[in-house]
Parts: sequence; C-alpha cells; structure tokens
Amino acid sequence: MAVGIRRWAWPSELRKRGVLGINARNGDYVLLRNPRSFYPRVDDKLQTKIISHARGIPVPETYAVIERCGDVRRFLELLGDRRDFVIKPASGSEGRGIIVIVDREDSTFITAGGERIDVAEIRYHLAMILSGLYSLGGQPDSAIIEQRIVKHNIFEQVAVGGTPDVRIILYRCVPVMAMVRLPTRQSRGRANLHQGAVAAGIHLRTGQTSGGVCNNRAISVHPDTAASIEGLQVPMWNELLVAAMNLADGLELGYLGVDFVLDARLGPIVLEANARPGLAIQVANRRGLCPRLQFIDEQPPEMLRPEHRMGLIETLAEIG
Amino acid sequence: MNARRATSQIVVLLLVLGAICVALRAGTRKELQLVPGDTFWKLVYEIDYRAKKAGAKLHAAFPHDTAHSRVHQIRYPDPKAGQKLRISPAESREVNVIAQKAGSGRLTTEFEIHLSPHGGWRSESGGVALTAEARAGYLHAKKGIEVDDPIVIATVEKLQSDPASRLQLVERLFDFCSTEIGPGGKDAPADAVEALKKRVANPLGRARAMVALCRAAKIPARLVAGLVVRQGENVHPHVWVETLDGNRWEPYDPENGFSRELPHNFLPVRHDGVSIVRASDMTDVREVFNIVRIPPPAGAYVSEGRRLTDILDLTRLPLEMHEPLSVILLMPLGALLTCFVRTIIGIRTFGTFTPALIALAFVYNDWRTGIFVFIVAISLGLVSRTLLDKLKLLLVPRLSAILTLVALVMVFGVSFLDYFHLTPSAQAVLLPMVIMTMTVERFFLTMEEDSLQFAFQLLAGTLAVACCCYMVLRWDAVGRWILIYPEFHLFTIAILIMLGRYSGYRLTELWRFNDLAGPQRDIANGEK
Repeated sequence: MAVGIRRWAWPSELRKRGVLGINARNGDYVLLRNPRSFYPRVDDKLQTKIISHARGIPVPETYAVIERCGDVRRFLELLGDRRDFVIKPASGSEGRGIIVIVDREDSTFITAGGERIDVAEIRYHLAMILSGLYSLGGQPDSAIIEQRIVKHNIFEQVAVGGTPDVRIILYRCVPVMAMVRLPTRQSRGRANLHQGAVAAGIHLRTGQTSGGVCNNRAISVHPDTAASIEGLQVPMWNELLVAAMNLADGLELGYLGVDFVLDARLGPIVLEANARPGLAIQVANRRGLCPRLQFIDEQPPEMLRPEHRMGLIETLAEIG
Repeated sequence: MNARRATSQIVVLLLVLGAICVALRAGTRKELQLVPGDTFWKLVYEIDYRAKKAGAKLHAAFPHDTAHSRVHQIRYPDPKAGQKLRISPAESREVNVIAQKAGSGRLTTEFEIHLSPHGGWRSESGGVALTAEARAGYLHAKKGIEVDDPIVIATVEKLQSDPASRLQLVERLFDFCSTEIGPGGKDAPADAVEALKKRVANPLGRARAMVALCRAAKIPARLVAGLVVRQGENVHPHVWVETLDGNRWEPYDPENGFSRELPHNFLPVRHDGVSIVRASDMTDVREVFNIVRIPPPAGAYVSEGRRLTDILDLTRLPLEMHEPLSVILLMPLGALLTCFVRTIIGIRTFGTFTPALIALAFVYNDWRTGIFVFIVAISLGLVSRTLLDKLKLLLVPRLSAILTLVALVMVFGVSFLDYFHLTPSAQAVLLPMVIMTMTVERFFLTMEEDSLQFAFQLLAGTLAVACCCYMVLRWDAVGRWILIYPEFHLFTIAILIMLGRYSGYRLTELWRFNDLAGPQRDIANGEK
C-alpha cells in the first residue's frame, strides 16, 4: 500500500490536493474575513457563552465566574454542594489551564485524571488564571466554573481519560469540514492534537467518522484501545450543524472553528469557538480545505443564506 | 484582490525609492572630493613584550580625535594563543592585553587616521566638566613633577610677582620653560626639579617643568603623550602639556614653542601620561610606531562646512559610535531573518523576537561566555522554577524571583569564567534578563503542558534562529556598508511586506501534510 517512503511532499503535490497552509490561512482567510474587533467574542469564552445563550444554542451551565482575587477565597461558597464541575480560564487557548473535577469528598477534589487535589490547590490555580498565566498575551483573566459534560457513550471505546469534541470549520457561515478529536493516554485526557490526541474526519453530510490521524500520521484504530475509529455516527449531526451555523451568524467571523461536546443528556453543546482554527483537520479528513473554500467563494451571496446552506453542505461533502 | 495590488504597488515603490536613494548617495559620495590638504595615514603599533607571569597586563592607548584629526578605522588583531584582548574603545580608548602565561608575545594594531588642516570636527577636549577629585588630581605632585619642591615654588613666586591674569600667567610659565630652560640631549634631566635647577632638560623634562609650575600656581595641567604624524618608521612619541582653561584643555609644547594651537599633525594618544604603552609584570617591552601615508580609502570624504544633509551621513559620527550604530542597523536584518524562518521555513521558537534579542546580547560579548552563561541561567532557572512551583507563588512575584536568579547567575557566571581564565574577555554579559526569564517560564509551561520533547524542540529552534541572527549581526562588511547606505532598509521593508503577503506553504508543512499528498491511497479506501 505504501508506495515509497518519502517523509515530505512537494509543494505542487500539496497544491494539487488543495491543502491550505498556515500562511494562506492567515493571509487569505483569517485576516480577510475575521475583523479584529470581533476577536473578543471568541477569545473570551464568557462572551461566546453569552452570544450562544442569546441565540438559543446550548452551552455548559455557568456555575460561577471569578473575576477578582478576593473571590478566590469564596470558592467553596460559590461552588455550593456541586460534586463535579470544570474550571477554565475565560481567555485560555489550546485547552491550557482547564481542570475537570469529577467528584469531591468535602474539600478534596478528584480530577478527571484520578488525581486528588485539595481546595488550596484549586485556589492557587484560580489565582494563576486570574493573573493571566493561561490567557492570550498574558492579560489578567477571569475564571469560569461551569457544568461538567458527561461523555456520550458513542465514544466510550475511543476516548481515553477525557471528553472528545467535535470541531466544525465554517467559512462564511457554511460548514466546510469537520472532525472529532479523541483524547488519548498521551494527550492526558485532553483533546489537543499537538499533545497526541487522535483526530478522525467526519463526513459532512452523514456525520460518520472516517479514518483518523494521531501525531500527524494516519491511523484507523485508537492507539490505546485498538477500537476502530471509522464509521462511528455522531449523534444529532444535523442539529449540530445547525447550531454551528447559528453561532457563526452570531459571531460574524468569516473563518471560524466551533468546538462541540456531546453530552449524554443534552446532545451537542458549544464548548468554544476559535478565530484561528488549526489545519490538522485536513489531515484527519485526508483532504485539503482549499477546494471547499473556493467553492464557497464561487457562490453568489444569496446562495450563502441560511436556507440554502444545507444544500451547499451536500455538495461540499463530496469536494476534495 | 485589493490588498494584493496595493502590496505590490508599495513594494515596487519602495524598491524604486531604495534604488534612487542608494544611487543618489553613491553619486554624491563620488562627487564629494577630498578637501585639498586632507591626508590619510596608517599608524601601526608593533609591541613586543615578555610576560613574567600569567595575568601580566599591557595597555596600549590609541589616538584621540581632535578638531584636525580623526581615527577613521581601527584594526585589532585576533587574540593569539596565550593572549586575552580587552577592547573597550568607548570608555578608555585602550587595547588591553592580558597574558595567559609567562613568555613573549606581540600586539599589532593598525589605525587609519584622517588629518585635516582645516579642522572643524567636534573635538574631544571641546568641553570637559571635571569632578573636584579629578581636578585635584591635576594639581597634585607626581614622580618627576615635584610641585612642592622649593625651587618650583620659588620660580612660580618669581613669575607671579607682577599681577597677571590666569592666561597671562600660563603664557609666562610657558615662555619660561621654552626659552629659559635650554634643550639638552639624552642625558639632560627629565624631571621638573633638575630641569629648573640646571636650566637644561630633554623634551620630557621641559614639559614636566611646565606642568609642575602650572600645578604649583594652582592651574590644572597634565602631560600628553602623542605622535607627530609624518612618514617614518619607529617614530618616537612626543610629550607636550595641556592646561585647563575654564572647561577646555589648551595645549602647550615647550619643546617646539607652540602655544594654545598645535599643528594639525599632532596626534594626542595618552592623556596624563608620558608613554603610549603601559605594562605591568612585563619586561622587554619594545614599542615601535610606524606611520605611512596612504591614499584616501574608499568612502572617506569630508564635506566642507556643516550642512543639514550631513544628518543623513552616519559615517560622520565618531568612530566609537560606528559599531553600536551598525548593530542597530543590522537588527532589522535579524528581524527579516526571523520572519523568513517563521513564514517560509516554519520553525517554532519561544517568543517571536527572543532569538534576535539573544543574538544581539551575544554580539556585544564573547559568544563562549554568552553561551555558558545562557545555558547555566536557563538550567538553574528551570530547576528553581520547578522548586518554586511547589510554593504556589503568584505569577509576577514568581517571575521576578526567577529574574533575580538569572541576574545573579549572569554576574557570578562571568566571575567564575574569569577566575578560571576560561574566556578571552571578562566583560559582563548583558543577556536580556526579561527575555531569559520569560524563556524559562515558557520552557517550564511547555514542559508541563505539552512534553519535555516539545519544549526542547522549541529551545533548539530558538537557539538555531539565534545563531543565524548572531551571524547576521556580526557581519562586519555588511555592517560597515549599511552604515554608509542606511537607505538599504527600504529594500528590507519591501521584502518584509512581500513576506507578509506570502501565502505559500511553509517548509515544515511539506512534512506535516505529507500524508495528504500520498498516492491517492487514502481516498481509494475512503468513500469514493
């Protein structure tokens, strides 16, 4: 099957496959389609939540927002008697600074990784978040304490130590590519590709996964469980697509990545949005983004209206 | 695409503008003739010495700029085996050799000197504000200048008997030394007291006599050792006197009879001293000064008078400023390199300009010292960062603690290296402390959040780019050239703008997306 082992590709080969490079993404799409003034809508997860909420898109329930150091002491009080929750920096990136607590015994908390931490450590972590350690550009930040997502059982065999998420890339509010990111032991439960998580492409029309990628190399089974990552059906796929387009309309960003988690009870929930989504989605889907982006650009503006988008997705799914 | 068209228009405009500016400057540089009478000279120091032990030192002063003379260029040798060179032109105007072991050695240094009888350059002694202490130093007795000797006091009292202004008194003292003290041969006295007693002295004796008389009359005075520029091999240094008048040093040469204005070819080398070369723990110091006239070097010219357009000519600035100025002008090339590495190659580094700033710090220091201190600072920083992590400190105090540690490492690292004679120079390494601290912090976070391997990958990328930047910044030929043609940076901006619009693949992406370009195998297995 492998015809010759070459570790690199000629630019012409990538161009033929329509691969979008990071320079082209930044120069031709992000800079052109995403007005800088709208960035806070995605960089600050609180704003994303507010916009999502206003448009009726389900988001994790916010238990508390900690904005001042003084509030850190009131953490237990703010938490109430909730046993599981997530702490995340409002302006974090790449999943940095997120702690998932699955259970507690009084003031000792158990993380998703099985570690036991006490309330002092949580307070320290909150103070770190507020001081801007995890925020973009080191700006002072606030910490969000929110509802923990319960993993949907469809991914039980292929998500190790964490919650998988579904990333949709939308161009001019039309979904153009999708993937599901599955945590591995190497990624320590996080769904970040550069930390070793698995990504599997999703067929845009059917919502079924195809083969995936791990550490930038193509795979078809999960590296930890050896379960197949092909042919899994993402539940409520159409609802998910509709929610993604709805959010894109609200954020007014032309080139956008939206991350969903699938909750066992609530279905697709928006986790965050990203104005500079990564390019690994192309490797996961084993096809380039360029032809699909060009297809959108070739459409007359009225074809991009919400009522025509589902039709475009049908066509897009087969491009590339 | 509008932005694209505008970009190409601006790039073309910048390129044309740059070409015009370079051409204009090249043209004017050709047109500007040397002022008639201006001459260029090469002065060569050849100093042989025998060090008695390791650590023996030799200090060779180099010429000062005056209103009539300017050092156009200095060529230092590379330190030879068993030698350490310390060059600090900006402060001391000296080349210092420190012998690493006992034995003989040689120092050769070349200067290109531009003499102009018309003068008009900013003179170094053009305005000095002495501290009280320094002023007192120029009134003290010294060996050979016995200010308190009765004969000195008596002579001054005699010459001061008629009331006179300060200037008149200096003239009187000068006249006395140049006429009343007769010229003597080699055996004639070389110190003030004997010269005054015997009324005969060698040139040094006369100069010392004048300094002693001036100081006794409470007029700050000093000896100046210098060279008289004329063709010759093994030229002997000449000693004259300077007295402080208000805030200006005025020269007097009792030997040749010049007062207040010396011929333009008198080149002061060592202020407040009688020898150009000083040595400690050395024997057999033999100094030879050779002077030859040379044709005007390319790029050397003088414009007549002051013109506003001179502001655009950076080569007009004093020599000490040339090096820092050319490093500043090379910095954009470092930035250009950084852009290239990021957008064309795709190497990831800690912080965008961290590599360029580290390289900049290395330029001013010996790179071996720099690397040693860098590695020690980063590793100790990481160890302490790991320990500090247990204390759960807030961000800013924690960063400041690491910064303090980095500062201490920088100071004691240099001290350590100097103690063991491990580096050719013991200059303090001014690495950018904040950048170092942030590198430590980022390294630690990357290690924690991603992996040690990725952290090292970023560190290696940072160092590789820093190395390239260092080589660019150390590019002497380009540095000199860009000082003459700073408008070259119009091209730099044009290239930066072009890089800013580059939308092709990064080299690393050719590897990253390799699987995508494979022979349609994945597609064949897929849905199609």
